[in-house]
Amino acid sequence: MSADSVVAPAGSAGPADAVSSGLTPLFVRLKLALLKNGLRQSSGRTAAFIASFVLVVLFSAAQLLGLILLRGTEYAPVFTLLITLVLALGWTFMPLFFPSGDETLDPSRLVMLPLRPRPLVRALLVASLVGIGPLFTVCLVVGSVIAVAHGFAGAVTALLGAVLTVLTCVAVARTVATLNVRLLTSRRGRDLAVLSGLVIAVGIQVVNFGWQRLARSGDLSVLDPVTDVVQWIPPASAVGAVHSVSEGAYGRGVCQLLLAVVALVLLLWVWERGLVKLMTAPDGSTLQASSGPSRKESKAGPLSRLLPDGRTGATVQRVLRYIWRDPKTKGAWITSLAIGLIIPVFNALQGTGSVYLACIATGMLGMLTFNQFGTDTSAFWMVATSISTTRDAYEELRARLLALLAITVPYTLLVTCVTAAVVGDWRTLPEVLGLAFALLGALLAAGMVASMRYPYSVPSEGSKTVVPGQGSLAWMSLVAGVVVSMVLCAPLIALTVWLHVAGHATWILLPVGTVYGALAAWAGLKAAAPGTARRLPEILGAVSKG
Amino acid sequence: MPDQAFDHGAAAQSGQAGGAHTAPPAAVRVQGLWKRFGEQIAVAGIDLELPAGKFIGLVGPNGAGKTTTLSMVTGLLRPDQGTVEIGGHDVWRDPVRVKSRIGVLPEGLRLFERLSGRELLAYSGRLRGLPGAEVDKRATQLLDVLDLAGSQHKLVVDYSTGMRKKIGLAAALLHNPQVLFLDEPFEGVDPVSAQTIRGVLERYTASGATVIFSSHVMELVESLCDWVAVMAAGRIRAQGTLAEVRGDAPTLQSAFLELVGAQGRDAGESLDWLGGGAGR
Repeated sequence: MSADSVVAPAGSAGPADAVSSGLTPLFVRLKLALLKNGLRQSSGRTAAFIASFVLVVLFSAAQLLGLILLRGTEYAPVFTLLITLVLALGWTFMPLFFPSGDETLDPSRLVMLPLRPRPLVRALLVASLVGIGPLFTVCLVVGSVIAVAHGFAGAVTALLGAVLTVLTCVAVARTVATLNVRLLTSRRGRDLAVLSGLVIAVGIQVVNFGWQRLARSGDLSVLDPVTDVVQWIPPASAVGAVHSVSEGAYGRGVCQLLLAVVALVLLLWVWERGLVKLMTAPDGSTLQASSGPSRKESKAGPLSRLLPDGRTGATVQRVLRYIWRDPKTKGAWITSLAIGLIIPVFNALQGTGSVYLACIATGMLGMLTFNQFGTDTSAFWMVATSISTTRDAYEELRARLLALLAITVPYTLLVTCVTAAVVGDWRTLPEVLGLAFALLGALLAAGMVASMRYPYSVPSEGSKTVVPGQGSLAWMSLVAGVVVSMVLCAPLIALTVWLHVAGHATWILLPVGTVYGALAAWAGLKAAAPGTARRLPEILGAVSKG
Repeated sequence: MPDQAFDHGAAAQSGQAGGAHTAPPAAVRVQGLWKRFGEQIAVAGIDLELPAGKFIGLVGPNGAGKTTTLSMVTGLLRPDQGTVEIGGHDVWRDPVRVKSRIGVLPEGLRLFERLSGRELLAYSGRLRGLPGAEVDKRATQLLDVLDLAGSQHKLVVDYSTGMRKKIGLAAALLHNPQVLFLDEPFEGVDPVSAQTIRGVLERYTASGATVIFSSHVMELVESLCDWVAVMAAGRIRAQGTLAEVRGDAPTLQSAFLELVGAQGRDAGESLDWLGGGAGR
């Protein structure tokens, strides 16, 4: 690794102080060498890097231009403050979700070198400014301060503010990474990284709804209370200071600037302390070896006492534990739960909602059945060796379905009731619930058959949900399954339309839909069980590729 | 229930007691077993008859087809052709009788690693229909004997290789099978764990049960097994008692090298420049 070749001469140069003086250029060279060597590993990576570099440069340029055009408009202060805040939040959480993105983020690699903490902090801080992310940040921050700076005092504050903001962003990422390095290099850290996609997915939904709301109202004054708070939060306070000084509010500007300086100094202090602790305390392997059992004894809890003995209880319990403990499964569930709640409730809050949208929650959760065995990975052999008859397969599938229903049914009730309450339309509630249960039954039935017929592997690491080569299989299974469940639901939908047109009472859909859904799920189980018992080796082969 | 079907082990013991003339009944009988993966033939029509109540080693170099064979024998991989019988019952036609009688520890397949060691055993036992209290009792004993009691509440994903092999072995033994199939049970295992596993297996076979395990470490097989099948390039090269397979060769290792045709291969002459500190 070139890291060694760059650092080695420093290590052999003699006293630590002598090393420290040339440390900053050394670390910048190290960062550049790491970037270069990373690219050398594969042409695909080089292409990806160049593509993302070009994209980021174009995007940053567009942002910079946009912000400059914003200069002088009434929206400039609000926008620049919010952009700075979002940037700072991004830098705070990025190292938690993409710990492998920057190799120099892990200071424990430098433990063996004779380095003093203060020069190290300085060197690492400067080195962090090298890269695509910092370039993007610099463009946005420069654009932001240009958008709000007026006059000589404003320009001077803008310069100070921009430097402060960029440094704070970089320092906060470093501090978070240093304080969590044990977490990030452990299994728990990798688990957390798998959940990053989920945060992004849910975040996009929230931002999307927020944006729509803002666009609809067409008046940025709704953001005033937010701006009042944000302008005092560092590092946005540095950009706030530029605006204050440009307006002639020097006192407020100086306070905001000072706040940003204090925050940066505090961050650097915390980071330095973290570095010292990290580099002088025993490392993760030692701690792990000497620590006791990590998980408290989970003696038969209330849940396991409730569950029946035998395969049903064992499988329900395992599936529920996996939903909680396996990052991939957990991510899929939380995404479905969150999106299933956000879409109907946010729409209802905006006045465009309908209780019928609550069926989205049921649909999202029902689709989780489509690759029942995939999340088992190759551990499915433990299930395969215990299934000898169609009855065994039926019990196994039924238990998996029960585990799912234990969450889905109450959640459907909750989302439907909340949506009905927000919309203020309790009269539609029974028919929507009936339809939702029918849809759930149909999806579960299709999901069970699809799991047996088209199983595929789910890789346990990374953000992918299908291993390369099985993508089309996964799509086919999902699309065919959704189409089949729609067809299965058609009679109920037809009945709903007829009841509405004929003006009959629609509450009848609740019992009819519930019974229909239950029957559909039962039929799906019956249809999938013989195939599951017959195709055990094929299913095991298909789910073991991850 | 697996426990009720333990007649076979007793039969094996009586077979041993009857002396060398009574052939012990076969625990596993394989006939004309084939498996192809695309162009490559992994198992090329093997016939095997493994006696009950013995410690049996399936040995062969890497890529010989040991894992493929064991997967087909235990019902985890469908053969292209051939039959497998365990205790007289066809694995593919009569899985009910076979699956309750066997325990499996595969190589290269995961466990349910997001369960703790104890939870994994509880899950495995209950899947096989054992009553909860009995599973708890057996799990506690197995965890103690296999030296896993201290880590029983840790998730299996945080276990070391040796600990994983041990918890896998515990799960395979939990329902007290008649025949135990272990694929490379000592691979990547430290000497202390290896000794523990060995002790448990020796105690288990002493009760009349059969252990069939694959390995490419000849010394280990020689010290543990009383019956050996040698496999190379998808075929069985020799099978019989240790003495029969070893023949006149001084060790199983040299007999094995002769059987797989690697004995005469010269590794030295073409590297005559290699001498480390002796010169340049």
